[in-house]
Amino acid sequence: MSPDNLDIQNSLDKDLIASVTDLKVYFESKQGMVHSVDGVSFDIVDGEMMGLVGETGCGKSVTARTFMQLVQSPPGMLAGGNIKFRSKNIKNGSQVIDLLDLSENQIRELRGERIAMIFQDPGKALNPGLTIRTQVAEVFQEHRENDVLEEAGLKNKLTGVTEYFVKKYIKQEAGFLVTTLFKIPPLSTYKKKIDSGINRLVAEALEETQIPNPTKVMERYPHELSGGMKQRVMIAQAIACNPDLLIADEPTTALDVTVQARVLDLIKELQKRHKTSVLYISHDLSLVRRICDRIAVMYAGQIVETGDAETIFNQPKHPYTQGLINALPSMSHERGKLEAIEGIVPELIEPEPGCRFVSRCMRRKANCEEIDPKLKPISEVNKSHKVACLLYEA
Amino acid sequence: MSNSKNTILSLRNVKKHFPIKEGVFQNVVGQVHAVDGVSFDIGAGETVGLVGESGCGKTTIGRCVSGLEPLTDGDIFFDLTPEKLVALEDFEKHQSEIKNKYLIDEIQSTSNISKIEGDDFYNYRRNCQMVFQDSFSSLSPRQLVSDIVSRPLKIHKVCADNELIPRTIELLEQVGLGKQHLYRFPHQFSGGQRQRISIARALALDPKLIVLDEPTSALDVSVQAQILNLLHDLQKQRGLSYLFITHNLSVIRHMADKIVVMYLGKVVEAGKTEDIFANPQHPYTKALLAASPDLSEDVMSDMAALDGPIPDPARPPQGCSFRTRCPVSRTECGWEVDDIIRRLEHHETLIDSIKSVHQPDAFNAKLTFETSLSAIELKDVVGTKDIPKQMRKAIKKIEVKGNDVNISFDPVQTVPLVQSENGSLSRCVLANK
Repeated sequence: MSPDNLDIQNSLDKDLIASVTDLKVYFESKQGMVHSVDGVSFDIVDGEMMGLVGETGCGKSVTARTFMQLVQSPPGMLAGGNIKFRSKNIKNGSQVIDLLDLSENQIRELRGERIAMIFQDPGKALNPGLTIRTQVAEVFQEHRENDVLEEAGLKNKLTGVTEYFVKKYIKQEAGFLVTTLFKIPPLSTYKKKIDSGINRLVAEALEETQIPNPTKVMERYPHELSGGMKQRVMIAQAIACNPDLLIADEPTTALDVTVQARVLDLIKELQKRHKTSVLYISHDLSLVRRICDRIAVMYAGQIVETGDAETIFNQPKHPYTQGLINALPSMSHERGKLEAIEGIVPELIEPEPGCRFVSRCMRRKANCEEIDPKLKPISEVNKSHKVACLLYEA
Repeated sequence: MSNSKNTILSLRNVKKHFPIKEGVFQNVVGQVHAVDGVSFDIGAGETVGLVGESGCGKTTIGRCVSGLEPLTDGDIFFDLTPEKLVALEDFEKHQSEIKNKYLIDEIQSTSNISKIEGDDFYNYRRNCQMVFQDSFSSLSPRQLVSDIVSRPLKIHKVCADNELIPRTIELLEQVGLGKQHLYRFPHQFSGGQRQRISIARALALDPKLIVLDEPTSALDVSVQAQILNLLHDLQKQRGLSYLFITHNLSVIRHMADKIVVMYLGKVVEAGKTEDIFANPQHPYTKALLAASPDLSEDVMSDMAALDGPIPDPARPPQGCSFRTRCPVSRTECGWEVDDIIRRLEHHETLIDSIKSVHQPDAFNAKLTFETSLSAIELKDVVGTKDIPKQMRKAIKKIEVKGNDVNISFDPVQTVPLVQSENGSLSRCVLANK
């Protein structure tokens, strides 16, 4: 453990937006505890794009979901660690919080507001029964009632019971009585103003993700849009509140290459414009290299290597990272000869101590099966490039 | 074409259209042109890669080749000797003077897969096997591996009952599995292993051709590399031919001898792998190459992506079908009235005020608006920068008469596939010059 982690609970380096320390998420199963995420630590630098790369089942999605407390429990179980996050709320100034300590209500306020998520399959993540307008509007209604009031021209103009009712209406918490009241004047005039205000906000949000004709698209249902458009709607939803951290969980896997390139450009551009930090999760190393500043490579629930995107690609140190890069069919390979990593990913049920990669490793040593390698800087010079392998331990 | 090897598969102007049905009586109101005139050959021991975006018809071709879909038009010939291929090409060039009619008849009755019957068709089915993308849905969850792999052997009565199990074990060993896997169900395997089972099943009858429909897109890179190596080794050992369908250009570069790039049911570029990767001719191929992150060594290079959606394959654009998204489109690409209407998406009020469209053909139309103001506005919009310069130039006539606007373009023929300097075929007006 580095000394700054021993400090007081809520401290976070100035240039970081979030820091994950020794995170452990287990799942109960009939065969025993599945150690999906087993001691993961990494930092996300403010305003940067962090890539989390790994194969299916290595725990990268679970890590991301833990940020928003989206792991279902049971069977999921938080077995240790913490995620510190700097919430840059404009009103209260910035404050550092531990995301795993928050209650359900507290995390609800952060979801979509300070931390937003883009999911892999937009077809599944969007509700097929609601129009795009309703789904994007929800974000504003939940977190931005003042913006809605301002857009509707009602800010500071309402008092007492009326204000209370209008806010209830915006938050979609109106019961039968209030809904009925909104059907008759004077509240019905407010209703119109609020609805058109929300419409304008939604259209603006959609426009930002380069959706042509936002006012038309708003009235459509998800099945009427193409995959790329759906993903744009998801992005519009995610960045609507200008979050501090955007978690993108394989946002382009379901898309064609040409559409993928467009969506990536869009994410990159929005990230630059809003200075949002992004945690980008993908199985595609070469894609992550293109867009991320830093990369963490995960294998079987642990981070095996982390560092600058270019360093990881040009000087990979961990045998797994080296294997992954060599397995990519790239220009530098002979045709038909790929260096595959033999063997399969080990079971994560109650794993034995020792390196998880040992059964597939070409460079294993005698004590690899006994000692659990720790993530350590590779050299004194480059502290940011860390690797968890006994080969590099003195 | 004096090749000593047989041509395993020859597609000649293959078309597959799917009807669009509507209403209570399921009247056919249109045709989706899924595959629209595709021709290419696969030689013995050769791998042909079929690339394109989703919806371009590449999977439909795979299904047509393996006999799962009947063709709308065109022919697919199986296992032609060099003489037969020459005769066939001769016949297509000079339809009128039929020199060796008996040979053509023989080819048609023994090699054309939509005409062969009985034993010949049985033989074809044996020799053309398929591996599907999703090994979850292509392996029956209720059958044991031994049943799955030995089923083709039983159906085609290749070996005696007591030889079935040894033969199955042999097949499993060839794909890197073993005896211990015989009595397990598919769900007990990982994705890569299930794909190996699919390959073992395809190999069971010792086929000449295997259609691989995105065999590795559901797999991780490290496993993908294992499967690609396996496929490569099997091809070397058995002299198999592959039709490799994928959207992944870096995989195709590793596997294929020849590449066919498809767009909207048509071939836009075809040629040797090295030629296409070294010097792509068609703008679509160039865009695809630029959009693949793992191909370029230069990390910072721009992923010059394509604008806009793929046009509706039920009404494919005339002339060049790629021009709606093409970064280097020209005046002579074959612009039509639909292009103007597509561009109007950015002018909501205008498109809402269109009352009716009378369109005798793709290049002429009369748009009727609700007010004459909208009609004049349309003319203004067509004159502005919203409409690309090349398209504006292609407009032959645009005139306003009251509420009506008459638009006409110069009619253009479908752009043909032409041979370019490096020997590959490409379908682009730029290559025509």
